[in-house]
Amino acid sequence: MNCGFTEKISSLIDGELWPAEAREVERHLLTCVRCAEARADFLSLRSQISSFEASLPGVVQKRALAKILAGGRGERKTSGAGVSWGWNWGYAAAALASIAFIGLIIGLMSFSQRPDQVAFNAPPSVPSPTVEPSPETKSSPEAEPPKADKNEKEDTPKPKATPARRPPVREPKPGEQFASIPEPAIPETIRSADAQTMTALHFEKAENLLRAFRNVRLDDTDAAAEVRYERKRAQQLIYQNMMLRREADAAGDVQIASLLDSLEPILLDIANLPDRPDEATVRVIRERVERKNIVALLQINSTALARALD
Amino acid sequence: MASQDDEFTMLFQDFYPSLCRFLECLLGGRAPLAQDLAQESFLQLHRTAWGTLPPGEARFWLYRVARNLAINEFRKTNTRYRLFDRVVEAMRPAARNPEQEYETRERKQLVLEMLQTLPEDQRAALLLREQEQLSYREIGEVLNISESKVKVDIFRARAALRERWSKKVKVAGASVS
Ligand SMILES: [Zn+2]
Repeated sequence: MNCGFTEKISSLIDGELWPAEAREVERHLLTCVRCAEARADFLSLRSQISSFEASLPGVVQKRALAKILAGGRGERKTSGAGVSWGWNWGYAAAALASIAFIGLIIGLMSFSQRPDQVAFNAPPSVPSPTVEPSPETKSSPEAEPPKADKNEKEDTPKPKATPARRPPVREPKPGEQFASIPEPAIPETIRSADAQTMTALHFEKAENLLRAFRNVRLDDTDAAAEVRYERKRAQQLIYQNMMLRREADAAGDVQIASLLDSLEPILLDIANLPDRPDEATVRVIRERVERKNIVALLQINSTALARALD
Repeated sequence: MASQDDEFTMLFQDFYPSLCRFLECLLGGRAPLAQDLAQESFLQLHRTAWGTLPPGEARFWLYRVARNLAINEFRKTNTRYRLFDRVVEAMRPAARNPEQEYETRERKQLVLEMLQTLPEDQRAALLLREQEQLSYREIGEVLNISESKVKVDIFRARAALRERWSKKVKVAGASVS
């Protein structure tokens, strides 16, 4: 169905042909219906993709910039001797128990695989930016707590609930960064990693949500948009929270279960907020968050779980 | 220092939204995650490379880091996390504000679904071309591949999407208008 020129049509609409070649292809287009159709389809494809708008509330952007400007400064010298080397063998148990749970889910879902699952099964080798930290950051132990709010992390007091024990991993010297840490192969043991990841990501998302919620100013002009946004995030987290809690209960992981347990009513409250909640309602939720020191607990637990993956 | 931050702020305002969009499309529509990763990319830029990069390079640097973060995310969470997401999705109560933005969401969903049918490298290349208008050379730089691979990837992506796309868009167009 394609003629020999079709590939060049693609380059032509990208302006990537030499002038002489472009003229040749354009002449061909006058006589070849197939290529003319391909061109039209490629261009319509282009307009579909380029008109895609990100779901990006203005508040998110504002907040991100504030965090980066603050965070960049506070963090600069600490990139190596990082935050907290939280580690707790209890999580390993939680992770193991999660495997059964995930297996169940996969069993349930295996009838309807999404095509993208195939697409990502073999990620290409990860190129490092010439300048530095690249994604290895993510999987290497020293640099990658939950994405947001790195600087706050440093200030957050460590609750005694999670005694931090150092893993037998050498700390990198400042400046040494990630150079000596080889790119991990795609782990064969991804199952337990996934179990931990699921909980870690959940904590991370919840932490981000609660931090954001703490910062919502009801007298802002865009307060309603912000509340709607946080509400949606909370709604997205509730079911996951319930499932993870049930699973942690079943596994006998008291610590994780109780953290999820105190998180649940807060998520529910936020998820049920009206567009324009009154001060009092919001204050009650915030106070509960503060009283339980939940943001710090989430942060430490998600960090510890993520660390345990390495 | 202040003026450095001003410059950074300008760069941020210019490119944060498109970086979010790139990541959102790459990640199959997980917008909050996309925003987090975009933020992380800028944070890394601010912390490490800012000021040392040649002018004009920051943007490519950002896309490179962002894409790598996304790949890491896939690696970290892999399929099972997405399966989990789907279970959660299935159990969630029915849509809360369905009448609003329904049409846009349909369209966006369509774009995302189509993109998700592509291998990741083709998807990244096509997005950088169509949304960011990068040249093949620049795309090659961001994705760390040769220009000729960029050309082939983009063509393959287009050819693969073409059939399904034109079909689907016609259907959607008919029902919308
Ligand atoms: Zn032809």
